[in-house]
Amino acid sequence: MPPMKSLPVIQDHAAPRPPGHRSLWQSVEELEARSSASRGEFAAGASEVPPEMSRRSFMQILGASAALGGLAACQPPREKIVPFVHEPPEDRPGKRFHYATALALDGYATGLLVGSADGRPVKVEGNPAHPTSQGASSTWDQGALLDLYDPARARGYSRAGNPLSWRGLLAEIQKLARGHEVDGGARLAFLLAPDASPTQAGLVRQIRARFPKARVHAWAPVTEENAAEGARIAFGRPLDVQPSLEQARAILSLDADFLSGQGDSLRLTREFARRRDPAGEMSRLYVAEPAMTITGASADHRFRMRGSEVAAFARAVAAHLGVVPVAPALSPELSRAAKAVAADLAANRGRSIVLAGVRQPPAVHALAHAVNAALGNVGATVRYSRPVLSDAPSSSALPALAKEIEGGKIDTLVITAWNPVHASPAAIDLGALLARVPNALYLSLREDETSRRCSWKVAQSHPFESWGDARSRDGVASLVQPLIAPLYESTTALDLLAAFVDAGDRGALRHVKGHWAATSGLDPVSFEAQWERWLRQGIIPGTAEPAETPAVDVAGVAAALGRLPGAKGEGLELELAPSYGLFDGRFANNAWLQELPDPITKVSWDNAAYVSEATAKALGVEGGQVVTLSIGKRSVQAPVMVMPGHADDAVTLAIGYGRTDGSAVSKGVGVNAYPLRDAGAWFAPGLAVAAGKGRHKFAVAQGHFAMEGRPLALDFSAKEWKHDQGGGELDHLRGMPATAQVPVDYSKQECSWGMAVDLSKCTGCNACVIACQEENNIATVGKEQVAKGRIMHWIRTDRYFSGPAASPETITQPVMCQQCETAPCEYVCPVNATVHSDEGLNEMVYNRCVGTRYCSNNCPYKVRRFNFLNWRPEVPDVETLLFNPDVTVRSRGVMEKCTYCVQRIEGARIDARTGGKKIGFVQTACQQSCPAEAIVFGNLNDPKSRVKQLHEDARRYDLLHELGTRPRTAYLVKIRNPNPDLA
Amino acid sequence: MSALFKPSANFYARFSLVLVAAVAGGGLLGLWGYWRTPYAQGLQEEIVQPVLFDHRHHVVDDLVDCRYCHFNAERGASAGIPSTEMCLNCHSQVWNKSPKLEPVRRSYFTGTPIEWNRVHQLPDFTYFNHSIHLGKGIGCVTCHGRVDEMAAVTKVASLQMSWCLECHRNPAPNLRPRDQITSMTWQPPADPAAAQLLATELMKSYDVHSRVSCTTCHR
Repeated sequence: MPPMKSLPVIQDHAAPRPPGHRSLWQSVEELEARSSASRGEFAAGASEVPPEMSRRSFMQILGASAALGGLAACQPPREKIVPFVHEPPEDRPGKRFHYATALALDGYATGLLVGSADGRPVKVEGNPAHPTSQGASSTWDQGALLDLYDPARARGYSRAGNPLSWRGLLAEIQKLARGHEVDGGARLAFLLAPDASPTQAGLVRQIRARFPKARVHAWAPVTEENAAEGARIAFGRPLDVQPSLEQARAILSLDADFLSGQGDSLRLTREFARRRDPAGEMSRLYVAEPAMTITGASADHRFRMRGSEVAAFARAVAAHLGVVPVAPALSPELSRAAKAVAADLAANRGRSIVLAGVRQPPAVHALAHAVNAALGNVGATVRYSRPVLSDAPSSSALPALAKEIEGGKIDTLVITAWNPVHASPAAIDLGALLARVPNALYLSLREDETSRRCSWKVAQSHPFESWGDARSRDGVASLVQPLIAPLYESTTALDLLAAFVDAGDRGALRHVKGHWAATSGLDPVSFEAQWERWLRQGIIPGTAEPAETPAVDVAGVAAALGRLPGAKGEGLELELAPSYGLFDGRFANNAWLQELPDPITKVSWDNAAYVSEATAKALGVEGGQVVTLSIGKRSVQAPVMVMPGHADDAVTLAIGYGRTDGSAVSKGVGVNAYPLRDAGAWFAPGLAVAAGKGRHKFAVAQGHFAMEGRPLALDFSAKEWKHDQGGGELDHLRGMPATAQVPVDYSKQECSWGMAVDLSKCTGCNACVIACQEENNIATVGKEQVAKGRIMHWIRTDRYFSGPAASPETITQPVMCQQCETAPCEYVCPVNATVHSDEGLNEMVYNRCVGTRYCSNNCPYKVRRFNFLNWRPEVPDVETLLFNPDVTVRSRGVMEKCTYCVQRIEGARIDARTGGKKIGFVQTACQQSCPAEAIVFGNLNDPKSRVKQLHEDARRYDLLHELGTRPRTAYLVKIRNPNPDLA
Repeated sequence: MSALFKPSANFYARFSLVLVAAVAGGGLLGLWGYWRTPYAQGLQEEIVQPVLFDHRHHVVDDLVDCRYCHFNAERGASAGIPSTEMCLNCHSQVWNKSPKLEPVRRSYFTGTPIEWNRVHQLPDFTYFNHSIHLGKGIGCVTCHGRVDEMAAVTKVASLQMSWCLECHRNPAPNLRPRDQITSMTWQPPADPAAAQLLATELMKSYDVHSRVSCTTCHR
């Protein structure tokens, strides 16, 4: 054994990175040398007990619990076993069953498999057979489970405060409907959530037949109406765009955050990620956008510009391609970029694609269609099909409705859309108007701003409690089946709408079955078999919309572009955007999604006015300062945060925050941006920013994971990589390090678990974080505790910037416990609560842990999480249903961390070995949810396993390799594919 | 001034020191001993159930296999507690008027489950799985004792971690052929050499690799 002193393990500093490589930084503060590292590793007050507990009361509690503890130890309380009265035939106590269903967000469905343990849904997975999810699932899909068990959900039905039974409600609606029938529904209106359910479309048709004069509007705060209008300009009719990135080599995103959000993001992320492997032919992504999105962060070239300037950039690109005649004047830098982008797109005819985002005006969408057609991409990388939404949602619905209410023309308004009072445009005071509608009926999952103003309140069942059907963007229909009977008295939109055609007592299942029986044209017996098959598969075959090949009206596109208002050179522009956590605000009651740090700024439990560094300087404001943002007479107060890579002269504010109603989770978190929004608008010129005196404290999950300037998240350009595969830089970062121990030989074991994370594929979407939280019963801690660095996520997505703050390059890196073979945490645990398994797992034994926190202090990766407080002092009964029964719920004073989903490994082992087989396929929760397939887990002793191949990949390196910890998680360097012409 | 302490004070001082040590040591020893008593481990305590169900009668007189009622033992974590309906599979025909079965009939007709008192109770952080143990040839009687001789079921094994580990470290003596899993009377061959041979044979043919990693049971 060499003398300890010469070991690299105890050297103070890591080997410096070879010269010429960029240094990484995490926040603007760090870049400006006000480094978080200098403040020490933990945030101030990180180990203090909460202020409301005095030392005295702490001692009292301590004394009391010691006394009670002594008594309680004599005999544990005797538990009861409560078996079924009638055992369901499929019942297998403790066994996990998965049921296929679908979850629609604004009408576009994602196919899911929901895991059910003893009759309660406990885990959401993507349905591998479904084309939109392909086995992956988004943060919102996962978060739906917490919504299901939210104790703040609405329950029951009422009219003017008087509770109604379901029968009573049906009778009242029947009476109401009869009254409206007389004049053909002239005083009846519906405000529906965007929906693609064929059954609901059928019911709406019946409603229209019965009430020919009734108005049926579809509305949501975030819609794709600009895309639909763009298609109308380009093709003469609205069509849905179906991008396919599998074959795309050059991608131009015009403010399109296609890697996150509605509809197809899971499929697009997967297809995009598959083209980011340098072993194959890599794609190149160009993004033009104002605020940094995860798509922009994944780009090879990101051009920051205000939202209103994207059109001009798009025109310049199109002009170089000869699609539109004149190119507007751009800055020299941008016109060089436009030329290079156009050349790249042209060089990849039929293998390129231009995507326009929901925020962009219709003309930009139309232009994207024209460019795609000119490049021969139609049919190759982009398909068009008939829109799947039954009624196209429109932001003009609310102004139209408001006008009618003001004119006293509406007696009955049925609302199934989400919270229009909160999300209504600035010019409309819908709350006050609703008071003037005699019968405003609101179907909602929770009591919110809108239900407060509606005379009829109808509680909505969660999709996991409902029968229904849904369609994904490509038209594929899925059946929505309930996982559990409604927890509270509640109903579905189908049942409510059916009540208006006197069919409310039939039940949603019968409506859905009736529709599909009629559509299938099968006899009842074979339909029943078919129905069972559809339920099992989760998709109804043959329902995909056929591709259409429409002709582009180039002159129409050019004319629409001509009508676009030119970008205003002067003044500030307000940019609104959906939030990564709360979307348009509908997930505001969801603590998981509130606590989930924003993928770029890492702010949790807040939104902020994002500005670029230059704009902050020009305005004389700094991060945390509260400013007043005003457009005309409307204004909101919001705290400023400097966002690297943000466009100058623009302020971005996420919608969805600042709820005034709702549960304790949502109320008063962040700033409501809707008062600044005109109907359907995403950016507005003429923003005035007045610096205020107030200071706001953000809970940022970024500063307390300082990286001390070490080379952790590595990237190379494709050219560098092809040339010399990193030039030996990675050789110092892998292989057997010099350590004092004799390495344990794991090669004789049947299984030796390992993981590989491909940074080239990771987009930082955070799906893994929520999947892990759901699988492992991880607590949320609230804003104050996040600010103290006590966030409990076992997996975090670190995000680093390199280069100048104005236009940095971004890299995201998921970090979970690295399962070090020579784990520093294990040496220091005085009670052997963290030990190594024979298969190479770093185990955490909660029942042994006494909470010294030595392990966390000694962990170089900072992936251990400590229960500083009892995060679940009182769990409402309904929330206990959420817990994964295979994982211990940790209490105060216990350390916890990732163990590669050891409950899944052990479950697979038991299943396999009971049947006398070898352990087969095991997926960790993060891996299963990852739409990019960036996380791979498996058996390192199986030479054919994917993880083994990745561990031997030329791109592999270990995190903090020089410490000699020999992590079982390997990282694969990110490869960027910049355009040589833009170098 | 006379001495403050008499010479005997020395004795009392030493005595009280010894006493303190003895009380503290004795207390710890007592706790150590107490934890090993059947009382502390909850053994030999006949748990009274809401229905006077007698395993002796069902197992010995009626020859009902364990797995008829505990239907999930071979395929799941939990062995399964029979539903009311399962009781009435037979008792709708036999003893269907017995007053002792009144709670069962009431449960069936009112739809209210019977609340049985739990006998074998593991801490929530311990995950036990029946199927793997049965699959590897561990018989019911090994952990649950002679249920066929129990009027009311009592716990016969401490279910303490040391007890689990004893077998996980050396499972061979506790293995039996799978067709004898539910037998209450099966004994390994009396001849130690033959017993050893059978154990070795079973270890091999059932591919027994009992694990002692923490996460085997604690997750």
